[in-house]
Amino acid sequence: MQKAKEKKIEPRRTSGDYIARARRLKLSDEQLVEFYGTMYTIRQFELMADKLYAMGKVHGTMHLSAGQEAVAVGTFRAVRSDDYVLNHHRGHGHFIAKGADINRMMAEFLGKDTGYCRGRGGSMHIADVEANNLGANGIVGGGIPQSVGVGLALQMQKRDQICVVLFGDGAANEGVFHESLNMAALWNLPVLFICENNKYGMSMDVERATARLPIAQRAEAYGMPWHYVDGNDVLEVYETMIGATQHVRSGQGPVLVEAMTYRYFGHSKSDRNLYRTKDEIEDWKKNRDPILRFKGHLLEAGILNEGKAAEIDAEALKVIDKAVEFAESSPEPDLSTLMEFVYA
Amino acid sequence: MPEITYLEAIRQALWDEMKRDERVFLIGEDIGRYGGAFGMTHGMLDEFGPERIRETPISEPSIIGAALGASLLGMRPVAEMMFMDFTLLTLDQLGNQAAKVRFMFGGKATAPMVVRMPGGSGTGAAAQHSQSLESLLMHIPGLKVVNPSTPYDAKGLMLSSIRDPNPVCFVEHKLLYKTKGEVPEGDYTIPLGVSEVKRQGRDLTVVANNIMVIRALKVAEKLADEGIEVEVIDPRTMRPMDTETIIASVCKTGRLLVIHEACQTGGWAGEVIATVTGSRAFDYLDTPARRLAGKDIPIPYNRALERAAVPQEEDIEQEIRAIVSGQY
Amino acid sequence: MPVPFIMPKFDMDQEKATIISWEKHEGDTVKMDETVLTVETDKVAIEVPCPADGVLAGIRYQNGETVPVTTVIAFVLKPGETDADLPKDSTPASLSKLEVVSPQPAVASSSTVAHFAATPVAVRMAKEEGIDLAKVRASGDKITREDVERYMAERTKPAGRVTVPATPAARRVAHEKNVPLEAIAGSGPRGRVQAADVLAFQAPQPLVSTSSDGRPADVVPLVGIRQRIAERMQTSFQELPHIALTVEADVTALESARLRLNGLAEKQGHGKVSMTALLVKIAAWALKRNPYVNASLIGDQIHLWHDVNIGVATALDEGLIVPVVRQAHEKSIHQIVEILGNLTSRAREGKLTLADVQHGTFTISNLGMFGIRQFRAIINPPESAILAVGTVVRKPVVINDRDEVAVRPIMTLTLSADHRVIDGVVAAYFLNDLTLAIETPETLLY
Repeated sequence: MQKAKEKKIEPRRTSGDYIARARRLKLSDEQLVEFYGTMYTIRQFELMADKLYAMGKVHGTMHLSAGQEAVAVGTFRAVRSDDYVLNHHRGHGHFIAKGADINRMMAEFLGKDTGYCRGRGGSMHIADVEANNLGANGIVGGGIPQSVGVGLALQMQKRDQICVVLFGDGAANEGVFHESLNMAALWNLPVLFICENNKYGMSMDVERATARLPIAQRAEAYGMPWHYVDGNDVLEVYETMIGATQHVRSGQGPVLVEAMTYRYFGHSKSDRNLYRTKDEIEDWKKNRDPILRFKGHLLEAGILNEGKAAEIDAEALKVIDKAVEFAESSPEPDLSTLMEFVYA
Repeated sequence: MPEITYLEAIRQALWDEMKRDERVFLIGEDIGRYGGAFGMTHGMLDEFGPERIRETPISEPSIIGAALGASLLGMRPVAEMMFMDFTLLTLDQLGNQAAKVRFMFGGKATAPMVVRMPGGSGTGAAAQHSQSLESLLMHIPGLKVVNPSTPYDAKGLMLSSIRDPNPVCFVEHKLLYKTKGEVPEGDYTIPLGVSEVKRQGRDLTVVANNIMVIRALKVAEKLADEGIEVEVIDPRTMRPMDTETIIASVCKTGRLLVIHEACQTGGWAGEVIATVTGSRAFDYLDTPARRLAGKDIPIPYNRALERAAVPQEEDIEQEIRAIVSGQY
Repeated sequence: MPVPFIMPKFDMDQEKATIISWEKHEGDTVKMDETVLTVETDKVAIEVPCPADGVLAGIRYQNGETVPVTTVIAFVLKPGETDADLPKDSTPASLSKLEVVSPQPAVASSSTVAHFAATPVAVRMAKEEGIDLAKVRASGDKITREDVERYMAERTKPAGRVTVPATPAARRVAHEKNVPLEAIAGSGPRGRVQAADVLAFQAPQPLVSTSSDGRPADVVPLVGIRQRIAERMQTSFQELPHIALTVEADVTALESARLRLNGLAEKQGHGKVSMTALLVKIAAWALKRNPYVNASLIGDQIHLWHDVNIGVATALDEGLIVPVVRQAHEKSIHQIVEILGNLTSRAREGKLTLADVQHGTFTISNLGMFGIRQFRAIINPPESAILAVGTVVRKPVVINDRDEVAVRPIMTLTLSADHRVIDGVVAAYFLNDLTLAIETPETLLY
């Protein structure tokens, strides 16, 4: 018996006047410029991280999110600053969008004592628990079950924050993804599940790894509302997240959002990029880059001009350079503290 | 003083603490109307309601993950793994997440959660429902592992475990659930990381956990009639373990026997013996330090085989006699 | 400052890369991110982008060269800079943790013994015992056999302990109570000494006041040194066919030699020369002339030892112990005096080591100080003979052919010998040599 040929579901994209849409979303010029600036900062941060790595200054490996800036900014401008976040290992951008101190991020990269995790975590485990950022996770899907617990606690403590958990297309095939969506829906927990689909797990194309796409549609199995959007359009992401967070915060239960995006760098620093072509990477970089697209719209609408954009770019670079300086001049953790932080 | 069972003692601890601290809640499978696979939560749903007696689907990793997530926000969950064996399903959430979250985040996160795990053999539950895995859990820094052998210890240690700010694995032995002992009503705690000398003696130091403590005590009682005085030490907390009490004892007796149901290879007896022989107690050893442990096999189904797979009273007696008579 | 162009690290494990080809050359204008050269790592070719806008200069490595990552390979001159601005030296711009360390040359083996100044005997001994002569400290300008022996003794006994199987508890008690472990018979498995054995060794006799059949007695258990002696004496007496030969020697000359030697010793600050020391020296000389008396029957082979190691029976409170003067035939009298003094004082303190009591080839037992005129001693296996020395008695003896009688100091010596190894005649020759040397000490100078 043949499988029924389904009509392919496309991600929702922007149509119509871009700026008019921004106005409908009550976004001012300053806010739009800020969106641009933050996305640019994230991009430069990732590029600097790559440079530092090439200079041999970063121990281990790193997972860069260049190309995925719109998901980060769109999400975190919609989410409240005191909402809880559980992140994945390609999360530098999310962290920056949520308002992290770039100096402390850079210091953590270099394993310094002034880093967010005092040099103990590194790129994959950055967290700012006091700011309700419950950390990036080195295990694919490792944070998803924890979001159930966070949601449960928020519900039992009768608070109005929500829990946002980000994970990739690969994580959606982990068993705990299904367990957690089931439990969150069952108990009506305030959890916003965000699948950042950048087309590849490590080297597996999502189409080769996933029996049925889009991933977001899986929410139907758990009676949960879902959205499937163009993750490289920052306004599309923003608008979707505004709606989703409202739904979740109002106690109507969890939502799953899948944002289609793309990563320019390999999975990690050992990735030879043998599973995709240079042309594919170039295509996304030239024609679908989230920052260039958004900048184009702002320039067209006169909200930005080249001069102002250059100023913002330069400012972002300065911030990054300062962060590198801070990190490089920061002290290493004291060896005498080796055994600390294991137990409370 | 009232005499209650080991099971009732743990239930009392959970009950009293849930009344005292509204952050405490239970999460696990079939703990509601059913009252728990072993009857641990009998009556608690009616007392505390479904929000705090949180029954889950069959999703062990997420039970642990949920407990972790909730504890990060200040709740005090007590999760249950229906059988200790199922903990193997949850090694990511327990070992990679809960155990490490504090360290990875530079000391900023705290995960005050408890995971109860009924373990041990003797009920015919066979290979996948009879393991003693405390040696595995002890190996992971960031976890605490607690292992009571008596009702009195069970209640006091459970209260301490819930109040401890770290992830605690509370290991119970199924065959001990029906054993009885005196347990004070009201609040009392037993500190984690303190061993107890359950019986004093001068001829041999025996270190054992959960059911082996009970068996060793019975054998010690019998041998006392023959003038063989066995000192029995129950570590109670496997990690962090109070080894100083053990070292002091070996300096007194000059002989050491460690007994556990867990399989011999990689079992925690090796840990204790290495610690003791590497300490000042080395100069007091008058015979090689020995261990008596479960055989290196999965627990068999057949009754006689199941019995033979782990140390029984007669095995303990035989080994003690051999050591004390200078056979090794 | 020109911007350093470093060889980037692309992989977690990467340590170096090979330059395949420079696309841009010295003096070319270059732009940031433009591909300047192609390198190869693990068979994958990678294009390396330029770090800045400017002019490429100061290229340090050429096509085909392999460079460790993070090494500076070239520079990009910024506007206004020239070659003169290039740094002179070639230290890498970044961390040097990737320097390739060349393996150290292997430590020269010491198997070629000729490199060390050592006596042939020392060389042979070292070879037999598997000792590296490089580790032996020479007391003089050459390594002697004594040096090798001292090395062996020190090597096998750390901190004065003995390689007797004993439990840690036993060692601790033995150390606390100053008991030599090798003097204790172990009751543990494989003869291991247990703490109880050490404690019993020290226990003052008696323990019980009645014997097993009820008659009053002080009961002393046969343990420790007493047990050892009992076992050895029984074995020797039962297994070795003992013959005993007796001679009487006039010690007039030896006595006066002893007095003169004492005078010499005093002048040189050495210890007093005892009769025992002299007897050791004389016996050693005589044994060298009568090798079968300095032998051991092991299995079905008689070992005629080259070394003369003379044991001197010493009485302690606990029992008999026989410390050994090694290579007595090579020692001067004052060396023997010193060694004997050292051995006896350590024996009384319970500080003898295994080396002190091992490898004896002949024993002298002297009961002269107790007034015993003559006695037969039991041979100390695996030795084949033992000399029992009696007290000196002033007796009338015939001193010349004319049957004239005078009173002379006479010492009676009895040799017990293992007849499997030593026939009566052989024993007789030995005793004759001994007597000759005692009565005419100058013989040793001959």
